[in-house]
Amino acid sequence: MDLSFNIGGAAGQGINTIGDLVAQVFVKNGLYTFTIKDYMSRVRGGYNFTQIRVSDEHVHAPVHSVDVIIALTKDAIVNQRERLIEGGVIIFDESLDFEECERCHLPLPLEETAEEVGGDVRMMNAAALGALLSVLKMPVSLAENALADIFGDKGDSVVEGNVKVARTMFEEVKGELAQRCDHDFSSVENAPSKDRLLVTGNQAIALGAMAANLKWISAYPMSPSTSLFEFIIQNAQRLQIGGLQTEDEIAGLNMALGASHTGARSMVTTSGGGFSLMVEAVGLAGMAEIPIVIYNAQRPGPSTGLPTRTEQGDLLFMLHSSQGEFPRIMIGPKDPLEAYYLTKNAFRLADKFQVPVMLLGDQHLAEFSMNIPRIEIEEISMERGKLAESSDDSYKRFKITEDGVSPRAFPGDEGMVVAASGNTHNEFGHISEDPDNRNAMVEKRLAKIPRILDELEEPKVYGDEKADYTLLTWGSTWGAAYEAMQRLSQDGVSINHLHFAYLYPLKTKRLNRIWNEAKKIISVEQNATSQFAKLIRMESGLSVDEEINKYDGRPMTPEWIIKELREVGVR
Amino acid sequence: MIEREDLESPQDIQWCPGCGNFGILRALKQAVMELGYPKHEFFLVSGIGQSGKTPHFINLNGFHTLHGRAIPVATGAHVANTDLKVIVHGGDGDLLGEGLGHLMHAARRNVNVTCLLHNNGVYGLTKGQYSPTSPHGFVSKTSPPPTGVPMDPVNTIGVALIGGATFVARGFAGDINQLTQLIVDAIEHPGFALVEIMQPCVIFNPKWGWDFFRERVYKLEDDYDIKSRTAALEKSFEFGDRIPTGVFYKHEKTHFAQELQLPEGSLRDHTNDREEIQDIIDEMLV
Repeated sequence: MDLSFNIGGAAGQGINTIGDLVAQVFVKNGLYTFTIKDYMSRVRGGYNFTQIRVSDEHVHAPVHSVDVIIALTKDAIVNQRERLIEGGVIIFDESLDFEECERCHLPLPLEETAEEVGGDVRMMNAAALGALLSVLKMPVSLAENALADIFGDKGDSVVEGNVKVARTMFEEVKGELAQRCDHDFSSVENAPSKDRLLVTGNQAIALGAMAANLKWISAYPMSPSTSLFEFIIQNAQRLQIGGLQTEDEIAGLNMALGASHTGARSMVTTSGGGFSLMVEAVGLAGMAEIPIVIYNAQRPGPSTGLPTRTEQGDLLFMLHSSQGEFPRIMIGPKDPLEAYYLTKNAFRLADKFQVPVMLLGDQHLAEFSMNIPRIEIEEISMERGKLAESSDDSYKRFKITEDGVSPRAFPGDEGMVVAASGNTHNEFGHISEDPDNRNAMVEKRLAKIPRILDELEEPKVYGDEKADYTLLTWGSTWGAAYEAMQRLSQDGVSINHLHFAYLYPLKTKRLNRIWNEAKKIISVEQNATSQFAKLIRMESGLSVDEEINKYDGRPMTPEWIIKELREVGVR
Repeated sequence: MIEREDLESPQDIQWCPGCGNFGILRALKQAVMELGYPKHEFFLVSGIGQSGKTPHFINLNGFHTLHGRAIPVATGAHVANTDLKVIVHGGDGDLLGEGLGHLMHAARRNVNVTCLLHNNGVYGLTKGQYSPTSPHGFVSKTSPPPTGVPMDPVNTIGVALIGGATFVARGFAGDINQLTQLIVDAIEHPGFALVEIMQPCVIFNPKWGWDFFRERVYKLEDDYDIKSRTAALEKSFEFGDRIPTGVFYKHEKTHFAQELQLPEGSLRDHTNDREEIQDIIDEMLV
């Protein structure tokens, strides 16, 4: 079973609610889901859709072809129809002016039922859900349970109303209408998935930060990073995490640096344009050796670009952000579960090496949701790295050490005087223009890089270690590339997939090995200039053979990658 | 008790002879000694400019940050450890140019930090360009000749009042006793305290020399009402032949860290509750 639903309409019509409802119903039934939200940068109107993919096996990406369209506006049918499979279902309100109906296209009284049976037009969601289950020949009890869960806190009458609406629509479609359609999932009663945690990338990163003992967050709202910031703020009182929506991104990062320097594990969230404003303070973190986690949910630029869409266009910008030279760590999670663990590690690495750590997400990772196993918080990560022990007056915040890391003390520690500066400074943190000191300090900071490399994981190889073709990816494009690789392998193509979560500093051992073994390396990136391939060439001298790029702001699908691969001769 | 020798400059002071900053440093040291808090509880955060070097010339916790950004850094430091007495040092260019927005918002938030604004009406470190407080017509390297600065200066006291600062004062680097007392009161004030300090730059703004201020500064009268913000605002426009000094406005209300209901003391010592996070996760289970 591998079904995809496309639920479309105008902003403000409750597309997300139906989407969440449908996803929850299937997750409860033991299926794996993958949901993306495709929306315009406007508050009301326009055309938005949610795509939900449902399967009894793991799914990792959106797909091009659609099995079922649920349409609340005519646009939702017109815009998606060419993606609908032959014999696909369209469920839409009978008031829509759409007459070119085929066998399984169902004009239904969704709105009327919501109003007359439930007494509330907003119950159209439940009506659509009832119709959907009926068409798929799945039991209506699935909707009943889900509605009880979702609307439980709104009171019994809301739950009952929704359930009544869903059941009415279910009965109306059952029989003649449902028989017109070929789908039959009556057997999918107890599907295999036990993964009941339905999360987005942003939520998972927030949870990772909480488990890493985040104590301060300051940010300026910017799509698509905002939901992470909001999630933490909404839970800030429970965990006693401090947070502030600042006047701008400049204040956001500088405030977080002040908090971190004083001992609170801190982060900022933003998107590329906001990061542009933070760049000066990135250098301050580099010079004053302050741990910080900077999350950039990338979106297509330059400038304000496409505010609600996705891209991986900020990699080289972040790599080179700020004047001067200093170590930094860059990490790009592939999916929510990995994002949770990588975020925890980001905080650990920031403290251990006293450097800025950049988490590169994007709109796709930030907002797609999937069900993953329940995350169990085993412990709160408190590994703070090297801390100063002695308390005499001669504390050196920037003591020269072999590994470049100086023992940390915090302003407020008794017996210590902690001095720091964004100017080149001596071991005590005081300004120094002495050339020998300058050299020693530059070298001290850069000495961290080999130690950082020791701590980072090698990239992963999916599929056979040896193959003719290797797909090269980083971050959130993993899912579509992985599925493309799987499908091609099943078709007999000799192909594997080399994927990087740790982007910089760059691990090169496995990279070199794969380069030696593959006949053709093909980079797949959600940008126009293959930035990660450039980074690899810069760091290792190795070049990819082909570059596949998507920069229309929409996430990749496996079908799209396969089509592009065919075009570059992959057989 | 902190003795003067405990505060000895960790390195040679690099200000020009005759700089107003010497007076400010003396008053700061005096205030720190008078306050009686343990040395490790003081934390100076500075921006860029000659004022920004202050943390290097006194043996206290200090962080010399970016141009205009000392206030956000100080805000973060204060929330991370509410035991700290956080003191910002910035110049007129630093806090009223690059950092004006941050100053206004910190005032509005009533962050419990003390902001000492070194005002010499000119850019010293970059060698003689006009600053946000340079008077209309001030001739400098970057003002259009021959008319000089083509706009009016920022009214520092007024800006702080409108921003919402709960302690607003002005001192003069040539009156150490008064300045010391103002700094003590500002640090003791539980909220955002701004002290504008008139401070001659004898090299690049010789017109605002020591005598210029000595002839003009006067202390606000005993019957001046420091509780009235409108009176203070009116007074803030008096800046010419006579320059008032002293506390313009003082008002106590909840400060920012209290509003946030953060844990007392240092966030560094606080651990997120594991069970709570597990509950947050479990509430998301479908």
